[in-house]
Amino acid sequence: MRRLAAGILPSLLALLGAVFVSAVVIAISGHNPATAFGALLSGALGSMDSLSEVGVKTCPLLLTGLAVALSFQAGVWNIGVEGQLLMGALTMAALGRWGATLPAWLDLTADLMLAAALGAMWAGIAGQLKVRRNVNEVISTIMLNFVALFLIGYLVQGPLMEAGGRYPQTDAVLSELWMPRLAAHRVHAGLILAMLLAVAMHVLLYRTVAGYELRAAGFNAEAARLAGVDVQRRVLLSIMLSGALAGLAGAIEVSAVTHRLYERFSPGWGFTAIAVALLGRLSPVGVVGAAVFFGILDAGSNAMQRVAGVSAVLVSIVQATVILFLVALEHRRSTMPVAEAVPDVKTHASADPG
Amino acid sequence: MNPFTASARTVDPRVARLAVRGLGKRFGRVQALADVNIDFHAGEIHAVLGENGAGKSTLMHVLDGACRPDVGTITLDGVPLTLRSSRDAFAAGIGMVHQHFTLVGALTIAENLALGLPQTSRWRLDTAAVAAEAMALAEQIGLDIGSPTARVGELPVGVRQRVEILKALAGATRVLILDEPTAVLTPAEVGQLFARLRQLRNDDRAVIFITHKLREAKEIADRVTIMRRGRVIVTTAAECISEDEMAQRMVGELAPLAARPPVRSEVALRVLELSVYHDTMPRLDRVSFTVHAGEVFGIAGVDGNGQRELFEVLVGLRPPGAGTVSVAGHDLDKFTPAALVAAGVAHVPPDRQRQGLVLPMSVADNVLLSLALRQRFSRHGLLDVTAARRFASDLAQQYAVRFAGLDAPLRSLSGGNQQRIVVARALADQPVVLVAVNPTRGLDVAAARAIAGALNRVVEGGCAVVLISTDLDEVLELSDRLSVLVRGRLSASLSPPVDPQRLGLLMAGAA
Repeated sequence: MRRLAAGILPSLLALLGAVFVSAVVIAISGHNPATAFGALLSGALGSMDSLSEVGVKTCPLLLTGLAVALSFQAGVWNIGVEGQLLMGALTMAALGRWGATLPAWLDLTADLMLAAALGAMWAGIAGQLKVRRNVNEVISTIMLNFVALFLIGYLVQGPLMEAGGRYPQTDAVLSELWMPRLAAHRVHAGLILAMLLAVAMHVLLYRTVAGYELRAAGFNAEAARLAGVDVQRRVLLSIMLSGALAGLAGAIEVSAVTHRLYERFSPGWGFTAIAVALLGRLSPVGVVGAAVFFGILDAGSNAMQRVAGVSAVLVSIVQATVILFLVALEHRRSTMPVAEAVPDVKTHASADPG
Repeated sequence: MNPFTASARTVDPRVARLAVRGLGKRFGRVQALADVNIDFHAGEIHAVLGENGAGKSTLMHVLDGACRPDVGTITLDGVPLTLRSSRDAFAAGIGMVHQHFTLVGALTIAENLALGLPQTSRWRLDTAAVAAEAMALAEQIGLDIGSPTARVGELPVGVRQRVEILKALAGATRVLILDEPTAVLTPAEVGQLFARLRQLRNDDRAVIFITHKLREAKEIADRVTIMRRGRVIVTTAAECISEDEMAQRMVGELAPLAARPPVRSEVALRVLELSVYHDTMPRLDRVSFTVHAGEVFGIAGVDGNGQRELFEVLVGLRPPGAGTVSVAGHDLDKFTPAALVAAGVAHVPPDRQRQGLVLPMSVADNVLLSLALRQRFSRHGLLDVTAARRFASDLAQQYAVRFAGLDAPLRSLSGGNQQRIVVARALADQPVVLVAVNPTRGLDVAAARAIAGALNRVVEGGCAVVLISTDLDEVLELSDRLSVLVRGRLSASLSPPVDPQRLGLLMAGAA
C-alpha cells in the first residue's frame, strides 16, 4: 500500500501542479478557471455519448502510451512512436481498400497484424541502427518520424489518392473492415483490445523472463550483461514491440474512426504518448489511468471552448506542464540517494565569477 | 643511483611550505584518514607511499579542496587554509595533476590551459595570449609540450601529462601534487617525467608524489611518508629507508591464514597461457594458474595491472586474446556470461552497484539477476514469481540481510547488505568456481566477516574460489595460496606463511 502510494504520489503532484498552472493561465486570459474546468469535466463525463467520446480519444493514447512505456522500461528512448503509428495507419488504409476472400473478421485481424508488423519494422530500423552501429535512437526515431510523415504526404497525393481525386486522402476502407462499435456509440472494440494489451504488457514485464531482462537492461545494462542478459536482443525486442503497439494504434484509428488516411492524420498522439507514459510511471496499469485522464482532457476540451470560451489549446498546456512537473520530480528522486551514497562527490561547478 | 638524488637537499628548516595537522576523515564506517600529520617542505620531492585504501587519495582530495576533512588543519607557509573546491586550492597555490587526466580532448592545449586560468575578460577568450603565456612558462621550466594549438586528444599520453603539469603550474603554484603520475606512462616517459620533477623541485616548490611503487619513491623522493589504513606509519628521508623496509611498513603485520580442511585433488579451474591484448600491448601476459576444488586462490596486486581483464575473461565479458580456460576439465570455447554460468562459474564483481545490482529494482528482482536462478525459477519463459520470492526471502534470511521488504528498492539497503545479496546470489546455485573481486572492500567489519564466512562455507563444500583483490589483508585472510599480478604477469604462487617483505616487493614489481 505504501509502495503504491509512493508510486502514484509524483503523478498526483504533477497533476495538481499542472492544474494549478493552467488555472493561472485561464485566469490571466480573463476567464474563470472553475467554470472552464467544470465545462471540461461535464463535457467529458456528462452523458453516455460524451463518455463514449472519452473512450474514442483514449484508445490511441493508451496504445501509444503503452508503446512508449515499453521502450522506456528497457532504457530505449523511442521518440518515433508517431512515425510508427503512421506506418500502421498506412498499412490499414492501403490494405483495407481491397476485400479478401477471407471472412471479414479474419481479414481485419490480418490487416491489423500486418500494420503492427510494419510498425515493428519501422521501429526496428532504429533498433538495428542502435544495436549494430550504436546510433542514438532518439535521433534516428525522430528522423524516421519525418520520413513516415512525408511518405504519407506523397502517397495520399499520388499513388494512394482517392479515386475521385478531389482531396489528398485515401479511399475509405471497406465497411466490412470497420472496427465494430460498442452498443450504439462511437467507442469501438479497439479500446477493449488496447486494455487487453495493457494486461498482456503487464504480464510480459512482470511475469516473464524476457520482460524481467528487459527491465533490468533498462535500469543497468552493464549489470544485466554480466548477468547473462543479451542486452542487444532485449533492446531490439522492446523497440519492435513498441513499434508494433504504435502501428496497431494507427491501424485501429483508421479502421474504427477515420476510415481513411490523410496528411495530418495524427494530432500528435505519438508525442502526447510520452506524457501519458511518464504520467503512468511507465507501468501498464498507470498508463491506462493516464490515457483515460488525457482522453477526458481531449474529449472535454471542445465543451470547454464552447461553454467557457477558453481555447481548447489550453489542454496542451495541461499536458505539457504535467511532463515538466514529472520530469522535475523524477530528477529529484533519482539524484538524492546517489549523493548520499558517494560521500566524496563534489562538483567543481561552483559559480565563480572570477 | 642518479647523481641528482645522491646530492643532499637543503630543506628550509623554519616553516613547512604545506603542513597538515591532525587530519581526519571518515566515510560512513570507514576511517579514511586518522590523525595525519605531515610537513611538506619547499624544494623537496615528498613521496606518499601506500596500498590501495591506505588513505593516499583521500589525503590528496583534501589537499586539493575536493573533499573537506572532518578534523584537522592545513597551513600553507604558516597561514591556515580553508579549501572548499579545487579552485580554492589552485588560487592558494596548490596545483594537482590527477591520475586520470582532466583535459578536454576536443580542445587545443592553449584552450585547455585557459580553462584553469582566471580570465582577463569575462566574455572574450584570448587563446593567443594564453598560448603565448603557456609557451613562456613551458620554456622557463623546461617542459616540452610542442605546439599549443595541437588538439589534446591527438597527443601521446606523456605529452598530455606534461600539459596537465603545466596547467597545474600555471598559477602561482607553490605546491605541486602528482597522483600516481607514472601509472599511464611508458618507462622512457617515466624517465623524462622524473627529470622534469627534479627541475621543478629546484624552483622553490614543494612537490608531492603519490605512489604505491617503492622503486619510484626511492628514486625520485627526498623524503618518504608511508601510510597504512588512513594513518601515517612513518615519515623519513629517502636515504634512510631501504625498499625492503618500505615494503614491510606498507604492508604491516600479516594475519595468519585461517585453518581450513585440506584442498581436494580435483582441478576446478585451469588457466593456461592466458593473454589479453589492448591494441598490441599485453594487459595479461601468458597468465597460468590452477585452482583446486575447495581452495581459495588469491591474486594480489595493485589495480590496473590486469585485474580487470582477468575478471572479464573469467566471467565471459571478453574473449581471451590467447590461451585456454578450462572449468572442471572442460575447455571453454565460448566466452559469454551465459556460457560461463553454464560451465558453473559464478562471480562477485568489483563494483557491486554498477555491475552486480540494479539499484532501482526490488530486492526480489535483484536476486533473479543471477542467470542460474532465473533459469531455476522459470519455465518456458514464464517466471514463477511466488517461488522466486520465497527463495529470495529465505536467502535474505540465511545471510542476515537487513531490509525493509522484498519489494524495497535495492538502493535503500546499506552497502554491506547490498554486498550480502550479491554474494548470496552468486553462491546460491552451488558454483564450481567463484570469481570474486574485492568481495569485502569498503564493508564494515560485521558484513566483511559475514561474507568471509560465506566464502569459507562454500569452499568447504568444494567450491574453488579465485579471489582477485587489491586489499592485502583480504587476500591474506582468505587465501590458501596466492600470487601477485603485476603489469599483466602473474608471479609464482606463495603458500603460507607468506613473507611480507617478499610480498611487498612482488606487488611493487621489484622482484
